[in-house]
Amino acid sequence: MTGRETGPVHNRLEGAGVPDTLTRERRCELLAAAEHDEIVPLAERLLADGATPPPTVVKAPEVGMVVLQVREPVEETRFYLGEVLVTECSVEVDGVPGWCMRADDDRVAALAGALLDAVAAASPAARAEVDALCAAVAERRAAEDAAEWADITATTVAFEELT
Amino acid sequence: MTAVDDTGGRAARAAARLVERARSGGRSAPLDTEQITERLGLAVDRVMGEGGLWAPRLAARAIRQSGGDLPEAAHLLRAHRTALPRLGVTPPVPTGELRVVRRISSAFRNPPGGQVLGRTLDYVGRLLDLLPEDEGRARSTAPGPDGNGPAAGPRPHAHEHPTGTPHTHEHPTGTPHPGTPHTHEAPPPAADGVERTPAHVLSVFREMGVVAPPSGAADPEPYDVTRHPVRPGAPRSAWLQTMARADTGSLLHLWYGSDWRPAGHEVPGELRHGALPVRMTHPVTGRPVTVGQVRVSEVQTFHSLPRAGELPMTLDVGYGICFGHNERKAISMAGLDLLLSHHEGAADLQHDVLLTLDGLDSTGYVQRLKLPRHVEFTSVLERARAARGDAPHTGDTA
Repeated sequence: MTGRETGPVHNRLEGAGVPDTLTRERRCELLAAAEHDEIVPLAERLLADGATPPPTVVKAPEVGMVVLQVREPVEETRFYLGEVLVTECSVEVDGVPGWCMRADDDRVAALAGALLDAVAAASPAARAEVDALCAAVAERRAAEDAAEWADITATTVAFEELT
Repeated sequence: MTAVDDTGGRAARAAARLVERARSGGRSAPLDTEQITERLGLAVDRVMGEGGLWAPRLAARAIRQSGGDLPEAAHLLRAHRTALPRLGVTPPVPTGELRVVRRISSAFRNPPGGQVLGRTLDYVGRLLDLLPEDEGRARSTAPGPDGNGPAAGPRPHAHEHPTGTPHTHEHPTGTPHPGTPHTHEAPPPAADGVERTPAHVLSVFREMGVVAPPSGAADPEPYDVTRHPVRPGAPRSAWLQTMARADTGSLLHLWYGSDWRPAGHEVPGELRHGALPVRMTHPVTGRPVTVGQVRVSEVQTFHSLPRAGELPMTLDVGYGICFGHNERKAISMAGLDLLLSHHEGAADLQHDVLLTLDGLDSTGYVQRLKLPRHVEFTSVLERARAARGDAPHTGDTA
């Protein structure tokens, strides 16, 4: 990011616990967490409005797996817990690379995510729109997380010793 | 000699059509995958765990296609997995990052980080729900007393009180079942000390000095049982991966019925269910990005196993983890890991864990037995007749 941005987008980012400047990794995480219906319309609109030139697809959306490697706490042994279904895509916009990997097998959403990653890196104007979407995703996830945790903490127990 | 009288697979296709008709026919509405992921979540979790692939929607499709036969669904998912490319390996995720939705300890009453029961029926009566369908639906969709969850009305059930005779009566749903540790019901305990990512109870034992620290050995690359045949003597990473993908029932049976189990029983010091991040490296920045998350069940179990010629100074620890919410599997895995770690070099035990727990192997073997074996069986009959001194049989025996 270049400089501190102000305005409604950044108020929303801060309200959702997101710093007012998104790192590229954090933006990618939020794009990966966005719903299809959140991410695809924005990518289509930016293309239709001419806000971004058409991307060059470097790696077409590919459905595959990543191996989830975990480290257990007893002997701190690393091992492969299993594999996770993901879709990966790479593009370039004006020579700026963009990348997306997201869970499940949605090729269109992965293409949109890679485009928005590149656009946000290439164009400050478009970045504001991408970050607004990221803020909305962060806000929604924070609300879902808070609601889930409220339900969970209602099941808190403390055991007493019977004498 | 027999010949298959099924020109072009006509009979096989007709048989498959009967299955399809049973699966999609009838008067009820077609089964949506979303219904399966939402209403039969534990089945989806089990199939993903045994299939070795976290893919909820594909697992739901597999369950639907298999008609609810979960080992067959895991088989379908595993077979599909072989057609997918591997796009990478995640950096190792410490399981201490797990964001819990359930955490209990059988070892400590009040462990640091607190205990949350989460979504469970462990502490209420569990009897077959015989409510009329309409009433059951109305109850499950009505708001609960807090305005959020389903209504929690009294549920009739029978049990034996410690001090009385068996009888049937009603407990309000959600109240603890007599005979279980008594929890504070009203008011609920303050949730201030409850943490979303609590430290493992294991660290408390280590601070107390009753569990040895990690051996501090080298940090080898994990063994991959999906790419290399595995045999007794394989490293710990191989048996942990094998058990994480194992058939739940086989794993439970091997642990529960094992002759290696000592007197007494293990104590699950911690049982957790929650979400772990899936991270990959951003190809441009070179830094990690969370691309998704999986839910896992994780258990650490403790015991004091005897060693020849010495008093046990520290506790033995076993570790279990698997995809989804499957506590039975995680507890069984932890029990077996404890035995494998304690009985180093026990080739029989390693053999059983590494080579008999895979559902695809065992169910595939059963499938194979159902194929025509007429010549082989004729040979068996002829040998039996020869041993009895009978004349050779010349007719069709099968």
